[in-house]
Amino acid sequence: MTADAAPGRKEVVSTAAEAAARVSDGMTIIIGGFVTANHPMPVVRELIKRGLGDLTVIGSATAGLEIDLLIGAGCVRKLIAPYVGAELYAPIGNCFRAAAERKEIEIWECSEYILYAGLQARAMGQEFMAWRGGVGTSIPELNRDLVVFDSPLGDGKEYLAVPAIGADWGFFHVGWADVYGNAQHVGARFGDRVLARAADRVAVCAERLVPNSYIRRNPVMTSIPYADLVIEAPFGSHPYAAHGFYAEDGEHIQAYVTASAGYRKGDRGAFRAYLDEWVTGPADHDVYLEQVGIRRLLQLEREYSAVSLGRHTPEGWPDGQL
Amino acid sequence: MSHQTPWSWKEMMAVFFARQIHDGDTLCSGAHTEISFCAAMLAQKSHAPNLRLQLGGTGYLCNLVGRPVSGGVPKTSVDYRIAQWAEGYFDHPETFLFYGPPGGGRRYYEDRDAFAGHNGYFFADHFFVGGLQVDYHGNVNLIGLGSNGGFTVRGPGSVGIGDVITVRNMFVFMTAHDRRRFVERVDYISTMGPSGWREKQFPGNGPQWIVSPLGVFDFTGEGMTARLRGLFPGHTEDEIAGATGFAVHRSELFDEIPPPTPAELALLRDEVDVTGVLAETGPQ
Repeated sequence: MTADAAPGRKEVVSTAAEAAARVSDGMTIIIGGFVTANHPMPVVRELIKRGLGDLTVIGSATAGLEIDLLIGAGCVRKLIAPYVGAELYAPIGNCFRAAAERKEIEIWECSEYILYAGLQARAMGQEFMAWRGGVGTSIPELNRDLVVFDSPLGDGKEYLAVPAIGADWGFFHVGWADVYGNAQHVGARFGDRVLARAADRVAVCAERLVPNSYIRRNPVMTSIPYADLVIEAPFGSHPYAAHGFYAEDGEHIQAYVTASAGYRKGDRGAFRAYLDEWVTGPADHDVYLEQVGIRRLLQLEREYSAVSLGRHTPEGWPDGQL
Repeated sequence: MSHQTPWSWKEMMAVFFARQIHDGDTLCSGAHTEISFCAAMLAQKSHAPNLRLQLGGTGYLCNLVGRPVSGGVPKTSVDYRIAQWAEGYFDHPETFLFYGPPGGGRRYYEDRDAFAGHNGYFFADHFFVGGLQVDYHGNVNLIGLGSNGGFTVRGPGSVGIGDVITVRNMFVFMTAHDRRRFVERVDYISTMGPSGWREKQFPGNGPQWIVSPLGVFDFTGEGMTARLRGLFPGHTEDEIAGATGFAVHRSELFDEIPPPTPAELALLRDEVDVTGVLAETGPQ
């Protein structure tokens, strides 16, 4: 660069391994997405590969088995999430359940909006947010960080003071992003925007890396601006779905649920075998995808597009439109 | 005991729920179950085309009128299949911006007719909650079994069931009916029963029904306690009393629950549950 050249914009393209290398033992991290969709799995796998421990992990309002995997792999000391499971695939995450029953993890007991209230307080730079949900439940008894107080308006109503919840890093999976860290979800955005605002630093995995001009075509879609790191990761949410791209891999999720079933009874062999095969084994995300196989990946794309484009209905939509 | 009916218990529950949903209501079926999803879809496709429906946890506003259920009933609350019926999305935290009742305070609940002409999207006429346990007072537990912060069985967590404090009518649905689940007092409370909602001056009413594979409770007992409102066809009061950990007394409104009509079953099977996820459980 010559002395009089204007400085250029900083590009933030990175890799999952580099992103995970920014995390160290004892940190607090957020994992975005929702139940069976849009989890930044290349980063999750790299965190486990690095053998990180003592993490405080903040899951989404309906955290999925990506959190269960982190718990099973021994990365988590404290969990902040109002649910861990996969609904009809698994009502409760097996590793989460086992670790909770054996007191191997600390649980910051909450509900969806208690979680959001804490994140929002951090995002706004406040010490706490007031919220009425959870008053009268066991949640403030189980979570001593929550303080019940009487409304200052003098109407005799009780509120919870939810202290700010922040994180060192937030990890998300989006549809596309540019090299400057402008990220756009394609379809639902879950709770990702609030989760991202509560993190000091943010890394996004993106199905596609796109030109800045592509972002500018529809700036209203930019859901996470100024990410610190952007990781190109096609099929990066596998085995979970990425909205706008592919369906979740039900067979793989079922295989995970089966592999983790013995965890609660102390038989962790099948779970370790899963880790060896799918997490620590593959050298990187490309190798992981090779292992999943092109047929399976194409099938998940087709499954998604068949429904979203209406191909399942021979007559098409009743009004003749997609 | 075997009860041979030509419909499954999940189909009976879905039909019962659909009958409680009226045209023009608002409903959120947040965390996913196949029963509550099918009930909402059935209502909208049969008698409630103006049902304003939030299907799934992440803020899809759906209308299914004239739209096929392609690829089967969604498996999770973010299933991509839900998007095919969506007319609007919002971020999940914004869900709670849709829960302030029109008029503010208790007016909406006490004079609902005054709001009959509103096309607004207050999303909390009906809400479904499941539980590990439910008790005589309608408290619901998704946290776990145990005491003093310990768990013999850890539950999935409270999700948002304690947050939706403006709900007019909460259906507590239990997918099994026994003395471990129907208890005198829950081990932990994720959301309170109706008397708790009044005591804490929440705007909404909270739980108004407990529905199990065997029958239905309301909260017309003294101090808003559970009373048996009806039996699903093929089940008896003795059976329910034997499977319930609190004293079972009839509600003053106790009534027969009619079986699914041929028309209800046909619509449910042909246009909603097209892959038969409710039917495959068989009768209970």
